[in-house]
Amino acid sequence: MTVQDSGPKPIIHAEALSKWYGEVIGLNNFALRVTPGITGIVGPNGSGKSTFFKLVLGLIKPNAGSITVLGQRPWKNPDLHSSIGFCPDYESLPADSTGREYLTLIGKLHMMHGTALSKRIQETVRLVDMGKALDRKTGGYSKGMKQRMKIAGALLHDPELLILDEPLSGTDPLVRKDLMDLIKRLHKEHGHDIIVSSHVLFEIERMTHNVALVYMGRAVASGDISEIRNLMDRHPHNIVIEGERITALAKLLLDQDYAVSVSFNDNKNSVTVQVSRPDDFFNGLPSLIDRGQCSVSKMYSLDDNLEAVFKYLVGR
Amino acid sequence: MDLKRVLDGIFALTLHSTKKLLFGKKAIITILVAVFVAAVMGYAGSQSHDALDDGTNLMDTLILFFFMPVMAMIFGSALIRDEIDDKSITHVATAPLDRAFSYLGYYLPLVIAVAVSMVAISSVGVFAFFGQHGFGSEALQIYVEFLALVIIGSFVYSSLFLAIGVMFNKPVMVGLFYAFIWEGYIGSLPGAIQNASVKHYLRSLGSEWVDFGDISRWDQASSVWGSTALLLGLTVFLLVLGAYLFREKELA
Repeated sequence: MTVQDSGPKPIIHAEALSKWYGEVIGLNNFALRVTPGITGIVGPNGSGKSTFFKLVLGLIKPNAGSITVLGQRPWKNPDLHSSIGFCPDYESLPADSTGREYLTLIGKLHMMHGTALSKRIQETVRLVDMGKALDRKTGGYSKGMKQRMKIAGALLHDPELLILDEPLSGTDPLVRKDLMDLIKRLHKEHGHDIIVSSHVLFEIERMTHNVALVYMGRAVASGDISEIRNLMDRHPHNIVIEGERITALAKLLLDQDYAVSVSFNDNKNSVTVQVSRPDDFFNGLPSLIDRGQCSVSKMYSLDDNLEAVFKYLVGR
Repeated sequence: MDLKRVLDGIFALTLHSTKKLLFGKKAIITILVAVFVAAVMGYAGSQSHDALDDGTNLMDTLILFFFMPVMAMIFGSALIRDEIDDKSITHVATAPLDRAFSYLGYYLPLVIAVAVSMVAISSVGVFAFFGQHGFGSEALQIYVEFLALVIIGSFVYSSLFLAIGVMFNKPVMVGLFYAFIWEGYIGSLPGAIQNASVKHYLRSLGSEWVDFGDISRWDQASSVWGSTALLLGLTVFLLVLGAYLFREKELA
């Protein structure tokens, strides 16, 4: 899949963007066109997601290529920050301040004052469900509360574009669900364009179908998640099957045109099958098990981790 | 450039950082130094037979020469670097305020914090010493003159150590070197070499104002106007340099 050049006007447009830190490459010839709505940036740790966000925010300058955000170049352009809200993936709340003090500082930096600022703080904390903890020191917040307060800080000045870097990381499943619902609501009901990153594809899938996959400093694919899934499905998948009479199943699998290879693992009760069309494999497997008179106790894909998927996509 | 936005931003940062500096962990250092100064000057006061000269000399060497640069170094050298390292600088870096002006939002609270600490330490020292000899009008004059010197010193040293914090990745090491080796040693050497220290020019100002102690008889002083111009020029230069470097700095 290539970067789309048509469609709605992009809110972020990166072309041949490269950033390196000494000998370490952060982004390499990175090209991406982000359109309005919710966009998921998915990539394993160290893939370049945070470097991309820093370039979007103008915290670092590109070594090569160009990037525009809301039609403007971000480096040394503080005015652009009026239109962007940023929730970083790291701890950034001043531990000695209360949530109210933190939000007051953010508001004042965005030229909000007096009753208008107080009212907006109340609105924002209600939105992220942090009203009761507003006057507590942020150092005593749980991980989920910190994430909510950081999102409140990003939202306070009602920006056009929200950038949420790994907002779900380290949170428990309940908080995770709440935050995913909140992110969807922020777009649907409040009209914010949102870019949200994660290294877990299914989390992003629950918030948006519009994703960009980032790996080793490159946007390896972008667009609708179903297209990306199709792209992934065109590559062989490795599936491990364990159980009894697996040898018979292996023989039957070798006759299937979707089976690229079949190899036994440490013992005869475990086999790794490489398949070119995973859907056909999963659909046909029950009848093969039946024909081979075997029983399967365990089956898992070696490619469920995102790293393997990205390796497929970049042809490694 | 929206002037109101700039002034609002600087004011908001000044308020936030002043509170952090004055009521944070570094306040304990101010209290410990004040206790130390009270003990030293209190004991010296009890043994002194020439209170005005002895008290002035102690204010000169202990407070103006030693603790003035040290306190500025403690408060200032890592102020920005700490926020870069713990990433709490994010709210400043993503604010709609030019970073050159944000730099002023660090400088002003630093000046306030250093000045308040040094005024507190000086006051404790003066009262511990002169309190034992009756706090007369001459002691009050010495007190006011040294307060003026530590406040001027706060502006100059703050600009110096804040700039060091932007220039170097290990600003505390550089700050320690400057405060103890350069100011403490080089600034005390005889001859023209001591002109390369801030304390020389502070002392030059003091030699014009103060009527007691060694500082009043100091024969190596530069002219008052020359010292004033140099300290002002140095402060402005360091502020502009620091603001420029902070603006150009990548916050990776």
